[in-house]
Amino acid sequence: MTTQRPAGLAGAGLAGELAEIVGGDHVRTDAGALETFARDATPLHRATPDAICFPGETREVAAVIELAAERGIPVVPRGSGTNLCAATVPHRGGIVLSLTRMNRLLELDAANMVAVCQPGVITARLGEAAAERGLLYPPDPGSRATSTIAGNVATCAGGLRGLKYGVTRDYVLGCEVVIGTGETLRCGGKLVKDVAGLDLTRLLCGSEGTLGVITELTVRLVPAAAANATGVAYFSDLADAGRAVSQILAAGVLPVTLEFLDHTCLETVEEFAGIGLRTDAGALLIFGQDGAAEAIAGDMSAMAEACAQNNGFGVEIADSDADAQELLEARRAVLPSLSRRAPLTILEDASVPRARLAEMVQRIDAIAAEHDLLIGTFGHAGDGNLHPTCVVDPAQDGVLQRVEQAFAQIFAAALELGGTISGEHGIGLAKRDHLRSQLGDAHMRLLTRLKAAFDPADILNPGKLAS
Amino acid sequence: MSEPPIFTEELLDRCISCGFCLSACPTYALTGEEVSSPRGRINLMRALEEGRLPADDPTLAEESSFCLGCRACEPVCPAGVQYGPLLEEWRARQWPPRTRPLRLRGLLWATNRRWRVRALGLPRRHARRRRGPGPWLMLGCFERALFPAVSRLAARLVPGARVVARQGCCGALHAHNGELARGHELARELGEALPGVILTTSGGCAAHLAAVLGRDRVRELSEWLVESGAAASSGGARPDGAAASTGAAASTGAAASTGETGARPSETGARPSETWPRPSETRPRVGLQDSCHLRNANGVWREPRELIGRVAEYVELPSASRCCGAAGTYALLRPRDSRVILDAKLDEIAAAEVDYVVAVNPGCLRQLRQGLRRRGSATRAIHLAELLATLGD
Repeated sequence: MTTQRPAGLAGAGLAGELAEIVGGDHVRTDAGALETFARDATPLHRATPDAICFPGETREVAAVIELAAERGIPVVPRGSGTNLCAATVPHRGGIVLSLTRMNRLLELDAANMVAVCQPGVITARLGEAAAERGLLYPPDPGSRATSTIAGNVATCAGGLRGLKYGVTRDYVLGCEVVIGTGETLRCGGKLVKDVAGLDLTRLLCGSEGTLGVITELTVRLVPAAAANATGVAYFSDLADAGRAVSQILAAGVLPVTLEFLDHTCLETVEEFAGIGLRTDAGALLIFGQDGAAEAIAGDMSAMAEACAQNNGFGVEIADSDADAQELLEARRAVLPSLSRRAPLTILEDASVPRARLAEMVQRIDAIAAEHDLLIGTFGHAGDGNLHPTCVVDPAQDGVLQRVEQAFAQIFAAALELGGTISGEHGIGLAKRDHLRSQLGDAHMRLLTRLKAAFDPADILNPGKLAS
Repeated sequence: MSEPPIFTEELLDRCISCGFCLSACPTYALTGEEVSSPRGRINLMRALEEGRLPADDPTLAEESSFCLGCRACEPVCPAGVQYGPLLEEWRARQWPPRTRPLRLRGLLWATNRRWRVRALGLPRRHARRRRGPGPWLMLGCFERALFPAVSRLAARLVPGARVVARQGCCGALHAHNGELARGHELARELGEALPGVILTTSGGCAAHLAAVLGRDRVRELSEWLVESGAAASSGGARPDGAAASTGAAASTGAAASTGETGARPSETGARPSETWPRPSETRPRVGLQDSCHLRNANGVWREPRELIGRVAEYVELPSASRCCGAAGTYALLRPRDSRVILDAKLDEIAAAEVDYVVAVNPGCLRQLRQGLRRRGSATRAIHLAELLATLGD
């Protein structure tokens, strides 16, 4: 990735000016620190910033943005850096604005079923705080133990419960945001119904730090389910699993979990984790439900039956929490097992409408074979969100070009089937060049105008999304 | 590249930069800065390996030292990164002998030769030489000087244990402080001096020995007691499913019933005026401080809990699994950071109102004992061997 830096960006002077705003202890410009903020969780993308600063309150965020706007310095907001689309890689240098110090849970309002928190609150901590009051914050991205709530909003993170509970955007009611002019504004609030003005809160979901820096969030909570249950079924091919999923939903069951692993994943997990999976199967489906105990029992047997009727075998429903954990182990072991096959792991998230899932996985397999790549696919069968995961040794000649070509074809296939290039990871730098093919020219132009309205100096995570 | 690699390539490649380790890292919790997280440090290692940062870069020096080396990042890592060995390789490059602090040099010197380690134990009464079918009891280096009663009581808890005087340091101290090759050499020497299964009362040594000699060659005390079913069991109700298999005939006839009266904590340096509660009178509340390496590298954490539960009311401290700040030589080399980490732990101990906090590693024992004493706390820190030998009657 090339690094284009605006001329006249004075490193030394910048550190001093930032220190005046946030305090000397909260600015880093040493080469080592810059090195560690050059990357997030995305492979193949790195670029060092000129400074990192850690504001402690909204006023400081606004002052940093004002300074940056005046001087034309890029600002890249960052939470825990767990995103998988290089959204927080500062490819034009500038300031990384780390919001980890603003990590207070300000209010848990059980009466209104909302939580108000600072941007750096860890997602899992919000979940725990809600659980203590018998409530649930449903979005559960894989990185929830580390990711920040504002990072989740900025990338509109998904998770395993998408089909039943939706994704991050469905739970954000309001926010405080500093836009590119340095102005601070509030949108939305604790209300479920509020139509005063445009829904800017929702616009910020998935904006990847290009429209503003979120400095406070109000999120919606729901009552926690009383119980949950998990089961599994094998299929000789994924198409059968797809039919089982359709039948489950047609029967009026809305499961909380519907995860699948393809044959490559099954084989790899068994090779590295040896947990007794059947490698003669073409796919594994993990299904689960939460709710009142009696309702769950009915749903679980309906799901098991739908699997059996569609040539499912080895159907099993866990009797205890411990057994359920064992069944889920296969899903948890996929990424670690795949990543052990080669030094570089590229995890993508092209998605298609649920009914085209099996077809899409077939296409992925064909593309992998064409380019002689190992791609295992797993993901969320309930919402069509796939995770084709490619593992390669980057030292091999020309392998990265092959990977790039393969993923370009995978994205094209997803669009052809009525899907998207990204279900839940985001666009960032990683898929910037593919966005136009999904959105089209008019849509891209509108995004560019929107970006200019929020950020006239083009300093907020510039060069990403539509800017 | 003509330079020999600093890091084992497969170890460094394993990290997929997902960041799951951040939430487990005590130093990241202190600073909130990527640079003091495991992922950040691995990126620093990569920059060093690839020449993007020079070896004398001050951030490299600071972060290789600020890291506790507790390896809490390992169990949460989905990609199975072995951070401990990477840190050892990093420090082997980062801490050349002449730049080491004097205090550290003294420690490494003292434990570098077998006779010096033996001399450390001379003035105190550690476990005496004894023949037996095994396992081979390790006396430790500083443990035999600071807490001699621990090996003595361990020998009583494991009547079959064989004790020989000719044994040195396991080399963990060296491996963690920049002398990786010597650390491995010492472990192998100890493996020859104790040629069977090595029984240790120190979690840190257990992990280092397992890494060098193989997991099968090492048993930490709690692990041995649970596996052999020989631990004291009459003092309290056994938790469900805790019944250990009764193998190892050599170790049956639990030590606690051999007629010796319970050791008093005064033997290991606690205040002599302490009145030790007898199990018949009270059932003390007892918390645990895990040994980080024992838990994170060797996967032993249920065992000490189970054993405590048999003789006392076990209380899980909220951060039992997190580092106490002792971290080998850390408390000595970075006393201020060590204190910050310890202070949070001491607050927790006070809130939990426990009578005892059990340690399974001498470094943690020293750290907790000093901290509790400084606060004038009524809670006492003791080694698991002391608790079991005393309450297990």
